[in-house]
Amino acid sequence: MTTSPPATLIESEDRREYKATRRRGLAVDLSMTLATILAALAIGFLVMLATGKDPIAAYEALLTGPLERSFRVGRWLEDATTLTLLGLSVAIPFRARQISLGAESQLYAGALAAATVAIFLPLPPVAAVIVPLVAAAAAGAGMGFVPGSMKARLGANEIVATLMLNAIVVRVYDYLVNGPLKEPGSSAVHSERIQPDSALTPLTEWLGIPFGRANVGFLLMLLTAVALWLLITRTPLGYRIRMTGSNVHFAEYGGIRVPRAIEWSFVIGGAVAGLAGAHLVQGVYGRLEPGLAGSLAFEGIVVALLARNNPLVVVVAGLFYSYLRAGGDIMEQQTDVGTEIVVVIQAVIVLLVTAQALPDLLKRRLARRQADPSRKQSGAAHGEAGAR
Amino acid sequence: MSSVLDVVLSSAFLAAVLRVATPYLLAAMGGLVAERAGISNIALEGQMLSAACTGALVAGYSGSVAAGAFAGVAVAVLLGLLLAALRLELGADAIIAGIGLNLLASGGTAYAVFTLLDDKGGTSGLNSGTLPTITLPGIEHIPVVGEVLSGQNMVTWLAFLAAPFVAWLFYRTRFGFHLRAVGEMPDAASSVGIAVRRVQYAGLALSGALAGLAGVFLSMGYVSFFVRDMTAGRGFIALAAVFLGGLRPWGVFLAALGFGAAEALAVQLGTLDVPPQLVSTIPYAMTLVALALYAWRRKRRGMGEVAPTSV
Repeated sequence: MTTSPPATLIESEDRREYKATRRRGLAVDLSMTLATILAALAIGFLVMLATGKDPIAAYEALLTGPLERSFRVGRWLEDATTLTLLGLSVAIPFRARQISLGAESQLYAGALAAATVAIFLPLPPVAAVIVPLVAAAAAGAGMGFVPGSMKARLGANEIVATLMLNAIVVRVYDYLVNGPLKEPGSSAVHSERIQPDSALTPLTEWLGIPFGRANVGFLLMLLTAVALWLLITRTPLGYRIRMTGSNVHFAEYGGIRVPRAIEWSFVIGGAVAGLAGAHLVQGVYGRLEPGLAGSLAFEGIVVALLARNNPLVVVVAGLFYSYLRAGGDIMEQQTDVGTEIVVVIQAVIVLLVTAQALPDLLKRRLARRQADPSRKQSGAAHGEAGAR
Repeated sequence: MSSVLDVVLSSAFLAAVLRVATPYLLAAMGGLVAERAGISNIALEGQMLSAACTGALVAGYSGSVAAGAFAGVAVAVLLGLLLAALRLELGADAIIAGIGLNLLASGGTAYAVFTLLDDKGGTSGLNSGTLPTITLPGIEHIPVVGEVLSGQNMVTWLAFLAAPFVAWLFYRTRFGFHLRAVGEMPDAASSVGIAVRRVQYAGLALSGALAGLAGVFLSMGYVSFFVRDMTAGRGFIALAAVFLGGLRPWGVFLAALGFGAAEALAVQLGTLDVPPQLVSTIPYAMTLVALALYAWRRKRRGMGEVAPTSV
């Protein structure tokens, strides 16, 4: 590479302008996100009103409930960890414009790998935590590699491939938890507990505040987000993934091996979803439970969308969304409004985020309204405009 | 092994296959119509779920099974139109919008049931009834055929008529030609005077109607209640059948029937000490392999194009 020449005046001006545009873009992004959330909350308000509930009491419980007691905060942080990892896991392939719906299979594969190692493999203290995490990431990465390479090398539809893989892995997981991995002699369906050394340390132990099941996985999640952000914005691979996503032809023209970039985006995303599975096993449940993740995998997509696939923003979106989830449960306990309203709010967020033309539409309508008065008296207006 | 054969060859099993395949057949045809109209309908799952819930609720409260079924299908049609509007008017990505609609259906149905019946599980407290079964006169006396066909729900009959209907629609009607043209090359279709948007709205409405019928069957076919998230991923499987069937009516029909048969088999084998979960992975594994083979063949013929999903 040639060394860059000293910046000319024009160049530095250009750069300043570019930075200002980026800052403006960020401001627009943030305000759009906020507006989206407010609009979704407003729609939830109307739904509650229409179904004869007291929306003010419900929102009070929803919005203040999670912070009222420390174990509720713990519940929130615990949920945020899983959800953010899942959001990160789909944000990476999304960056390459690949719609991976495979977080579910990757999470379950990760959980299985982590649990198998953590239950059956005797390891010295620190390794007992790390090896299951690595195994989970590897298993998740493997589950990402299958649809990723099918897409990258053969052009097979990744949506169908990931959905099929989900169906397969969830059933295999179900079989293993009900069969070979079921705790012997127990009537309940779950695996044996992991060895104590493999557990992710609860935050309670560190901070002395009763945070329930929230654990070190939260910090691990933060580190993962920063690492992925650095990967996407500061490394050649991140550049290749971004270029593939923004303009595949340009990327090819620029010598980027697009299939490689696509494959890597799936593998990295899979590894992160695998970590989410490990978090559930080593941090939350301490064993394999049937239906470990619920509908979390799809909710990770919402988080990624809301954050526009920026890993650092995914953390914020994950915290926000898990806050709503935690609040929803409290709302259901304290009022007669079901926690499902949170899913409705979430759905509205997705639909608003995805309606890309909505801001343009509003802008156009606004512009038309401003233009309207002059249009009515067109002749005079033209004259005025000309005079000016 | 012989016991497996006994099961598979029994008329009770064949009857079960028809029953289990019903929602797959209908939803897959719905997915096919949308796909050929150029808008992927990943909201099949949500449409089925909404239809199942609405059907059971309306039937339960009105006392009319027909009203329930009609309302269920109508809600699914509305969701189809909403998806089309999000795509066409607001430039939304059809896949992401579909995911949003699925979430909306999952949360909305559970919220509705909880609000109306104060029950988290479903509408089993509500007596909503089932759609009638149809027995062709005389057919029940024919040995195997009679046992398989007699007493099947009317929706099952409709499900088996859906494939010929869609085939007829695609290849024999003006609307079908327009639909396929619009899905293939909207600009060209528009340049010869086809109202692209109108055709796509109609296609998505039809897609929703078929998925809605599938949903209504779940809550008003052999059971008479709605259970939370009772579609259990069937919409996604139907979508897989659409691609596995090569986007052609009879191919999709066979794929959907295959999924139904495999699921029925998994249920049957559960009684025979074979892990049913593992048996039930077979169709999905087969689809995955078929998907890879299909893509590989396309690529070898030089048609393959490795590109990010068109959004």
